[in-house]
Amino acid sequence: MARRFLIALAVGFLALMVLAPLIAIFHRAFADGAGMYLAAISEPETLAAMRLTVIAALVVLPVNVIFGIAAAWAIARYRFFGRRALLILIEVPFAVSPIVAGLCFLLIYGAYGPVGAALEPYGIQLMFNLTGIVLVSLFVTCPFVMREVLPVLMVSGAEEERAALGLGANGWQIFRHIVLPNISWGLAYGVVLTTARAMGEFGAVSVVSGAIRGETMTLPLQIELLYNDYNATGAFAAATVLTALALVTLVLRGLLDRFGAQRKASI
Amino acid sequence: MSFQAQQIHRAFGGTQVLEGVSLTVEPGEFVALLGPSGSGKTTLLNIIAGLSIADAGRLVFDGEDITDLPAGKRHFGMVFQNYALFKHMTVAQNISFGLRMLPRSTRPSRREIADRTRAYLEMIELPDLADRYPAQLSGGQKQRVAMARALAIRPRLLLMDEPFSALDAQVRQSLRGSVRALQKQVGVGTVMVTHDRAEALDLADKIAVMDHGRIVQFDTPENLRANPATDSVRALLA
Repeated sequence: MARRFLIALAVGFLALMVLAPLIAIFHRAFADGAGMYLAAISEPETLAAMRLTVIAALVVLPVNVIFGIAAAWAIARYRFFGRRALLILIEVPFAVSPIVAGLCFLLIYGAYGPVGAALEPYGIQLMFNLTGIVLVSLFVTCPFVMREVLPVLMVSGAEEERAALGLGANGWQIFRHIVLPNISWGLAYGVVLTTARAMGEFGAVSVVSGAIRGETMTLPLQIELLYNDYNATGAFAAATVLTALALVTLVLRGLLDRFGAQRKASI
Repeated sequence: MSFQAQQIHRAFGGTQVLEGVSLTVEPGEFVALLGPSGSGKTTLLNIIAGLSIADAGRLVFDGEDITDLPAGKRHFGMVFQNYALFKHMTVAQNISFGLRMLPRSTRPSRREIADRTRAYLEMIELPDLADRYPAQLSGGQKQRVAMARALAIRPRLLLMDEPFSALDAQVRQSLRGSVRALQKQVGVGTVMVTHDRAEALDLADKIAVMDHGRIVQFDTPENLRANPATDSVRALLA
């Protein structure tokens, strides 16, 4: 009895809160027919938003992968002054509301902020363009790779790295042949999470994007804009694209889970 | 091709772990560092390997000062306490690792690496396990793979950190003989850290008895038994 009740509760809750909205997005997007849907997602502004979103994510990802591995490595392998502070600092983007983060970036890198004002005479503008979007996305997503890689590095590999060093491997060879294979699954998770978040971020990006139609609108911003314009089909059609991107990352993660588990079992 | 450690000092924080330790290993000689935990023997081994740096003192190999030579350039083979085999590599890949990492100019051909790997697999009597992963091996097999991996780079000196401590008593006994036989066959000078006196007496040509960061006595097992320098050495060998 209790078992049935618990299962019903879980399934019912997920159906109402997750599945129904998901279906609603696709239902509404196709409500005026497939032709209207296709027309809506091939709107130049929407296409531009998709392009910008993907470009921003592609810039953010490698930067955070490099930074995340470096930070995790430093924290896992060395004892230094400020190590604990670094651990806490890296959690800050999780704790701070994205819109606050956006405002902070505006304060510092905007035209009236210290950094923004210093760069302005040289004609360099950081906010209200792709640079601004990339900067806040970096902030919002910087913990992911590091958080996924750190625990793996903590529990494995220090001895293997020493062994490789003694066998004559140089720094790059140790990274390539020992560290990378050891952290690969954690790293893959971090990449998936970073990508999903970078593409979906709304709050922080909305502050610094400048909202120039067809130029600095990312996909989430474009969706809100279309919806506020009473263009429901356009909004929901764009939403299906963003949802599909998110689902792809989820499927990738699921595949990694399965493949990763199998690999471990076989070793 | 003798190796010498001269007046090695090392402190961690405020604690003096090694207080002027000197040691000579002649070619082909098997030296055991014997002492209780905390006597500084593993620290000394790590300094010899280049994985830790001495505060003072010199390391000399065959007349060459190697004190500041990085670990990878020393050409010493190391067998770690828990073997530190590369989990994601097969046995063959583990053994050939040192050869595969050589710079292109000095790296043997693929074929030669494979031949040498097979030779070492036969030497450790595990010719059929080339494609296994470390997790699929028994403790004794892992130990021998670790040994082969260290020997495959044709080391100038072989270093072993408690190589039998992770094994159960029975395997330990039988592996002692094979380790000594391998070492003799290759003819490489060897330093082994151990806290087990039976192991030291059984294997070593010379034993350095360590206590509180010093070598209390350094001599053959026979001489140690005949003329123990202190009561602690007498007690240790009794």
